[in-house]
Amino acid sequence: MRTRSSIALAALLVAVAALVAAGCGGGSSSSSSGGSSGGGSLAADQTITIAWGAEPPSLDPGLATDTTSSNVLLNIMDPLVKLDPKTLKPVPSLAQSWDVKGANVTFHLRHDGKWTNGDPVTAQDFVFSWLRTLSPELGADYAYQFYGIKGAQEYNGCDSKKDDCNALKAKVAISAPDKYTLKVQLTSPQPWFIQQAAHHSFLAVNKKAVTKWGEKWTEPGHIVTDGPFKLAVWKHDAEIDLAKWNGWRDAKDVKLQRANGRIITDGTTAVQSFEAGEVDVNTTGIPPSDIPRLKQKDTYQNYPALGTYYYGINVKNVPLNERRAMAFAIDRKEIIDNIAQADQVPATGFSPKGIPGFSQIKTDYLEPTADVSKAKSLLGKTPNAKKNVTLFVNDSPGHKEIAIAVQAAWKKIGINATIKQMEWAQFLEFLGPPPNKAVDTYRLGWIGDYVDDINFLELWTCKSGNNNTNYCNPKYDALIAKARQTADNAERYKIYGQAEQMLTGPNGDFPIIPIYWYTYVTQEAPSVKDSFNINLLDQFDLSKVRVVS
Amino acid sequence: MTKFIIRRLLWTIPVLLLVILFTFLMMRQIKGNPFRKTERAVPAAIQANLDRKFHLKDPWYEQYANYVKGVFSFDLGPSLVLRNQSVNDIVKSHFPVSLELGAYAFIFAIIVGVPLGVLAALRANKPTDYIAMLVANAGFAVPSFLVATLLIYYFAVKWDVGVPTSGWTTWQSKILPSIALGFFPMAYFARLVRGTMLETLQQDYVRTARAKGLRRQRIVGLHVLRNSLIPVVTAAGPLLGAVITGSFIIETIFAIPGIGRYYVSSVSARDYSVTMGLTILYAVIVIFGNLFVDILYGFLDPRTREQRT
Repeated sequence: MRTRSSIALAALLVAVAALVAAGCGGGSSSSSSGGSSGGGSLAADQTITIAWGAEPPSLDPGLATDTTSSNVLLNIMDPLVKLDPKTLKPVPSLAQSWDVKGANVTFHLRHDGKWTNGDPVTAQDFVFSWLRTLSPELGADYAYQFYGIKGAQEYNGCDSKKDDCNALKAKVAISAPDKYTLKVQLTSPQPWFIQQAAHHSFLAVNKKAVTKWGEKWTEPGHIVTDGPFKLAVWKHDAEIDLAKWNGWRDAKDVKLQRANGRIITDGTTAVQSFEAGEVDVNTTGIPPSDIPRLKQKDTYQNYPALGTYYYGINVKNVPLNERRAMAFAIDRKEIIDNIAQADQVPATGFSPKGIPGFSQIKTDYLEPTADVSKAKSLLGKTPNAKKNVTLFVNDSPGHKEIAIAVQAAWKKIGINATIKQMEWAQFLEFLGPPPNKAVDTYRLGWIGDYVDDINFLELWTCKSGNNNTNYCNPKYDALIAKARQTADNAERYKIYGQAEQMLTGPNGDFPIIPIYWYTYVTQEAPSVKDSFNINLLDQFDLSKVRVVS
Repeated sequence: MTKFIIRRLLWTIPVLLLVILFTFLMMRQIKGNPFRKTERAVPAAIQANLDRKFHLKDPWYEQYANYVKGVFSFDLGPSLVLRNQSVNDIVKSHFPVSLELGAYAFIFAIIVGVPLGVLAALRANKPTDYIAMLVANAGFAVPSFLVATLLIYYFAVKWDVGVPTSGWTTWQSKILPSIALGFFPMAYFARLVRGTMLETLQQDYVRTARAKGLRRQRIVGLHVLRNSLIPVVTAAGPLLGAVITGSFIIETIFAIPGIGRYYVSSVSARDYSVTMGLTILYAVIVIFGNLFVDILYGFLDPRTREQRT
């Protein structure tokens, strides 16, 4: 990896290397290693068909919030950095290197980045794009991704009727001192910022295209991109086809000529299309009822995800030892084996397996299976235990079944749960913020945006909008605040470990009960199986895909 | 007749205004936030930006007035969720697909359903009748998602007779969804035609025609069938409306880019403008469907023509 780093970054990398203890050389995007690892020679026809899942609501990097949009974007655009699929370390992409000095981050862009209209990709494009996403007029859902940048939150929160938005815009610390240097000043040292820049919100858009076409700039024919693939076809709700773009800087290394994409939202339909040979990769998903049958086939693939399925508990309604008892009463393994079935991992903590530093963060206090006697003795210590609790779940498939298993587990220790199901949008509004008094326990999940545990643990701070448990512990908040100021990874992971202990450790407060860590399941034809790798953030890199015969 | 049509057309305006008002008020009653799609809470500043952008915090009567103004200038507003598309875009790109699918399904229903009913009536209480009614009752009782799944499983996966499992591209891909969507109306027509036909066969004028010594084919073809079709036409109007505005289930199962899915997905996504736009579209179609049926009556039954002038 040819990275021109500052001393701080070098130290950071050494620390990461020591922790991850894995070779990092292979991930560079400029490597041109040929044939596939799985044997077989390259097929003459390098075309695949993917079942994309849902229609992307937007292909504007500023407005996109879902997985399909993200995966299309990351293949037609050129991110500053990519994440190594295994180690999750940032590897150079459009940025050939970067320096980190405390809160100051500088990206050095490659000089051969090019837009499909022939213009070079410059640092100015990023300044324009990021400020555009932050502008209150655009109304970007993911503008908060940039809140770590100095002045960003203030500009995003500006009301043109009351404030001078242009003055606030000028204060946002994003600048391009020259054509290929992008400078960012953060509100504090944020070691995860480089990895965060791999998120699709941080992609550049082409100013000319955006200005010329307005909201319609993402349609094929209008859109200007700078990645290994071009948007060839977008028939809404039916098809998204990507074609290799030979003008891309490393096009010679890209084997795949075309990725045809079908929009299939229904899992059963996707499975049937795959079985009929109409699609080569099913990323839509597999209905739980089909998983036991399909698991037997070698086309079944399972990838770990950075996400936690959990039950939240209203700490004002349910006393501490009862919360602990509830956590020990649940048999996670049984839920996965019999209900969820997609080889999820029993979650013994809130921080997901696979998060960098996991070996230092995990608590190992909870078990994958239930410990009923421990649960009973904990509950025995709780004179004011609430024997009848409410359990709220949303009505998507699967959640009620898990709730019934949990209900049965709690029944064993003498707690009666009443399950209440609600439609998703109402459910979310009902839970809060502010937390709803009628809710004793509820189910939710959390999927990470970027690969640092702060993205998970900050949920349980007092002011977090995602904390519907009423949990508020100043000591916990102090730990998270301290972690934010700690650039050194090893040090920070230690703090995360302490925070995780406060949630799910032996003396933990248990505002939540972790159930399982998510996985992504796909079906992949043998011809692409070895090169179609989905990373922990559910992203895949088509420039690495090879069709073998 | 012209007067009748004009009067009916003018009536659509207050009806539409009421439809808009009711949908508008009801959409605001169901809780939920169009900008919160996942469990992630929306930061207050971002929520404020979005509310401002889409004027969601304006007084409701202002929003209603603006919306009505938009509707009567054929602008249904922007989608709150599909951020690069307007409701007009959505209707333009997806309604023709549903229209096509609905038309095929309807043709299938008529071509198969009506003869099936006629056959059953003419051979009443004989094996042909029983078989025809078995098919019709099955079509009536079996939900469309099961019909669709069975069709896909047998014809596209197991026997692989050359039809794809899903999509809306080649003519082959259009066969299974059309049958699946047309199955229920087919069964409905078959039962309806059988019932009315049996009733018509008992009528005095049929007995008279028989007594006159007219040939059976002429009696059935001219007198019985024509009069039996009136209830079918009555039922066909609303049914046609329902079929051509798409089917959430069939379109989802076959991954067809039709508008039917949006009726459901826009409500669950709280995409207010899309829900309202589609409700108006549906209302207009039903209004015109019924008008068309009323006009058609005149041709089938001269008695109704006189009453209306």
